Formats: sequence, structure tokens, C-alpha cells
Amino acid sequence: MSECLLCHRENLQQLTLWQLLNFQPVVPDLLCQECMGQLEPISVDEACSGCGRKCAAQFCNDCLLWKAVPNFSNRALFQYNDLLKRFMSQYKFYGDYRLRKVFQDKIEREVRQFHADLVLPIPINPATQQHRGFNQVAGFLERIETVDGLVTRDRVKQQPQSGKNRQERLRTEQPFTLNLNSKKFNKKRVLIVDDIYTTGRTIRHAAELLQSAGANEVMGLTLAHG
Amino acid sequence: MQTNQLFGRQVLADKLSVETAWQPKLIRRPTMIITGQWAICQRCGQRIAKQTVQLPQEAYYCPHCFQLGRVTSNQWLWSLPEPNLFSKRTESPLSWTGQLTPAQNACSQQINHIFGAGKTHLLWAVTGAGKTEMLFLGIEQALMKGLRVAIASPRVDVCLELAPRLQAAFTSIPQIVLHGEMKGDYEYRQLTICTTHQLLRFYHAFDVLVIDEVDAFPFAADPGLNFAAEQAKKETGALLYLTATPSKELQRLERQHKLTVSYLPARYHGYPLPEIKVKLTRRWRQTLTKNRLPTAVKGLLKQLVSNHRRFLLFVPHVKDLAALESVLKPQFPGLKLATVHAGDPDRQDKVQKMRTGELDGLVTTTILERGVTFTNIDVIVVGADDAVFSTAALVQIAGRAGRKAAYPKGLVAFFADSQTKTIKEARHQIRFVNRKAQREGLLGGYK
Repeated sequence: MSECLLCHRENLQQLTLWQLLNFQPVVPDLLCQECMGQLEPISVDEACSGCGRKCAAQFCNDCLLWKAVPNFSNRALFQYNDLLKRFMSQYKFYGDYRLRKVFQDKIEREVRQFHADLVLPIPINPATQQHRGFNQVAGFLERIETVDGLVTRDRVKQQPQSGKNRQERLRTEQPFTLNLNSKKFNKKRVLIVDDIYTTGRTIRHAAELLQSAGANEVMGLTLAHG
Repeated sequence: MQTNQLFGRQVLADKLSVETAWQPKLIRRPTMIITGQWAICQRCGQRIAKQTVQLPQEAYYCPHCFQLGRVTSNQWLWSLPEPNLFSKRTESPLSWTGQLTPAQNACSQQINHIFGAGKTHLLWAVTGAGKTEMLFLGIEQALMKGLRVAIASPRVDVCLELAPRLQAAFTSIPQIVLHGEMKGDYEYRQLTICTTHQLLRFYHAFDVLVIDEVDAFPFAADPGLNFAAEQAKKETGALLYLTATPSKELQRLERQHKLTVSYLPARYHGYPLPEIKVKLTRRWRQTLTKNRLPTAVKGLLKQLVSNHRRFLLFVPHVKDLAALESVLKPQFPGLKLATVHAGDPDRQDKVQKMRTGELDGLVTTTILERGVTFTNIDVIVVGADDAVFSTAALVQIAGRAGRKAAYPKGLVAFFADSQTKTIKEARHQIRFVNRKAQREGLLGGYK
């Protein structure tokens, strides 16, 4: 018997026929069916080609305004709803590192589909890293080969993005610098991975930097949009 | 750091310093003990297979108590020994002037003795017995000796109801109320009222620690909180558990003579507990989806409404609230009804309206099972056979009726699709204490 890591209720799972027949040890789900059921996945064909939000048109209004980085597109896996907010709060702010495993399979599958030459997790400040003990994005990508191509300029975060309003977020200056020689990125297909896409400011700063370093194509993947 | 923030507390930090005079007394304990296979949290006492909670660097964290700030193995727990910087008093700080019944008085004396002797003890008193008042003598004596006292409960509602009563009883003693949603900061006070989670922040602080409603969620289900209670009191301190419905575990400790118990099987007004009447329904949930009330429930409610009786109606789940409300409203148009559940933003407001009589009925989940008193109400449970109602919960729910001396009687009706073991045990427990009270001559004595 295991319990759901989020709601702490008993996690009874129905075995699938495949699990019964393939004689492999069953890896228990970390979240219960009820919590998983609250996720709102965004499928590729109903998403904005720019930021990955759920949107009927090809580009949403926000992305029509983002002319600065024309060759960037982001894919978001889920809507940033109440369940994911609870999830991120427990994972990031309380620091429950066990939760990294919940979306690892899903993200891994998604990353493979990009066929990228380089996979870059968005870095966090050394001070946050020290305090939290882990980078939440690197946690998702634990089983994937990644490159630490970016570092933050500041050692300490001045003000968290989540504490700003939209205008303030959009005015945020470039927080990253390259960590590697720009030759590394020359003519490469690069995938940047982050946890949440909100205004797109952070991931687009990273994308600009990589494009100016000579990357051929820069794509984004985030767990959630909202 | 201010020294009085550390007296009897345990604070998580890498480094910490206090004024030089106190520096040598500073206690530094490891946050976790790491063995070959396990990581053992020194704050909540829980043992975790260490590879499941390893951070990228050689560090481990505790996944049980992270809501009070994550315990990571590369930090330390800092504290200062409790110095009891409270003045000893010669005159009593007790401003309560009420009278105890002889049975209450006997329990009260026992409790006072336990507090003085620094033992662990259980007070098993029925719902509505007047448990808080029985503590006053013991607390008074402890405060006069300059001891540090805490009263903790798993439920924040219980804490919030206790605090003003204690403040009124001990007006001259500064107190602090600690819980997760509190606004202010922690302060060093002689009398602490807190949720049991807050005990995780204390280390050998209290000479007297009382845990009210010890069988309530989450205390009963969380061994980490039991550990916290043991660690929050001084090694020589007294620990008193209060409940009307002790868990099997507590009852077992009593049988094994590891725990002493005082019983009070009668309410202070000397009337027996209202006994549970069970009526069977047929698939009540399906009936509700067809927009009808189960016939038995409808009949009873009609009777209550025509007699102008106010009532609490318990349902198993939050989603049953809306279903029941939408069926009740058209059936009883004149009735002032509200529903309430744990996540309801107007929860306090609705409970208050029920208290003052602005509402005729409150449809609720188990959140109102304990710690609340309404005058002159009847109690109904629909779906009493649901697994969310434990025996203890059912006894507590039944205990909402007839609590006031002016209205010592009330109807307790359970509707269920089948008679379950929990229902039978609840009925049995109530009959058992009533018989016990009868035998001891506690019924009908003082009115």
C-alpha cells in the first residue's frame, strides 16, 4: 500500500492487463488516479505554435506581440492549474525532491521527439541551488543527457518572477550568460527546458542568447503553461 | 538570534549565534541520523529509506515534516534549554469562578497530581463532560510554580475555541496561540496554545503538555506528531491526553498498564448521552440523484421542521453537500439552511450563524464532528455506514446533541444502507458509558 505524495490518500491502483502479463516488477504510481485525473494536458494540434498555450488560432495574441524572437516555439505539456500549482509548491518551495519522478517519463518521451542536439535546463541561482539543494528542471531531466550551457548572472535572485506582475516580468533584463564557448552551439538544434511558461520572458531571454551564439534552431519545452 | 526565540525551541539553520552569555548553553543537534539504509529525522522521528530522499549532493531531507521548513541533513537543529523565566506567584492567577461537579472535581484532583508528578496520563471523559474546566486546577498550580504550560490540539478550530476560554480563566497570564495560518510571530510566553504540528518546533520546552482531542486527525494517524509531543515536553514534564473516544492503541496501553487513566462517564449536567437511533435506507445516494429524499429522512425532517427543531446534518463527502442541499431546498422552502465543509471560505461565519440561531439547519461533513457546541439541536447522519465515519467520529457526532444543561436532550438519528461494525461499536460505546455513569450514580445528581 502506498500513499499519494500530493493528497496523502491511499493510492490504490488498478493493474493494467499489460502489467499483469509482462512479469516485470510494477513501479507504483507516485500520485493517485484522482490527482492525475485533474491534470489538463495540452495536445500539440490545439496549442499556439509560439508559446504552447491552448489556443484555437495558430498564434495567440501574446505571441503576435513577441516579434523579438521570431524563430522560437515552445511546447507546454499541461495547463498550469490548481493541481499543478500544488505540485510545484510542494516540489519547489517545500523542496520535496521525490516529486521530480512524477513527470520524468512524460518529459523524457517529449524531449526525444524534438531530436535536439543539445538539451539545456534553465539554470537557477547558486543561492537558491544552495538553499533548495536541487535544480527543479534538472530533476525532471535526471535520466537525460543535458548540457549546463547557461548560468545566471546574479548569485542571488533579486525578486522571484512569481512575485512580479505581468508588466514587471516583461521588463526583466537578461538574467543569463553563456557558460560554454559559443562554438558549442554553432549550427545546433537546441532545446531549452523550464518548469512553467508564464509570460515567456525567461525562456525567450535564454533563447535569444543561444541564437546569438549561433544556434540553428532553438525550441522550448515546459511542463506547464499559465 | 534573540535568546527568547530559542528557549525550548528548535530552529533549523546552518549556523547560528546568540549573545555571548548564552553562547556556551547553545545546543546543536544533527537534523538527521544517517545509517546504512535509513535516514532518521530528529525533528519528527520518522525513518525513511535514504535513497528515496537523497538530494543531488550528499544530503538527505525529511519528506514527513517539510511543511514547517524542510529538514536537510547538512543543517543543524539549534536550541537553548528552557530556563523558565517566569515569576513564581503566591496568589492564584485563576479568574474562573464556576463550580465543578464532584465527579469533575475528582478528575481535576487527579490531573493536578499528574502535572505535579510529571507523568503521562489519559483523561477519558465523554463528549460534553467539561474537560477544559477540569484542567484549570492543575494549570493554576503549575503556573504558580513558574512552570511552562502548553495545550495542543490536532484541530485548529479547537485551538481557536480554547484560547479565549483560557484567556478568560487566566487573565493575568500572557498566552500565545500558534497555528499554520497565524499572522504574528512566535513569542516566548508561559502559556502556549497551539496545533500539534507546531509542537515540531519545540524541544524540551514544557513542564506540562496537554493534547486535546488526541484521537483526531492528523495526530492519531501521524506517528511524527506523537514523537513531536514527546520531544516538546521536558524529560521530566507531564503529558496529558484528553479525549472522549480513545483509539484502540491508547486503550491497549491502558490495559498493559503503560498509561494511567481517569474516567468521567457522565456529562456535567448529569443527563445520559443521547443514544443513537439507526434507520435503514435503500441506496440513499441514488435516491438523491433522482431528486428525491429517502423516505425515512424526509419523514424525520418533516417532524423536526414542524416541531421547530434545529439540526446538524452530517454527510460523508463534500460532493454530497450540494446534492442534499438541492433536494432539501425545494422540499422545505421556509427552512434556513447552509452547507459547510473544510475548504469553505465562509466556514467560521456559517458556524457562528448556526450558534446564534440565524440558521435552522447546517449540512456538514465531518469537520464539525468535534470541538463545537450548539444549543438545543438534533443530530442526523445520512450515510453513516460510509467508511469516512470511524467509530470515534460517530460517537463524537452523536455527542453534539444535548450538551447544554438547559437542553440536555436531543435526537440522534443515523441513516445507513446497512448496519456496519462502526455503527454498532458507536452505539455500544455510548450505551456502555451511560451504564457506567448510572452504576457510579453520576446521572440525575446535579441539576
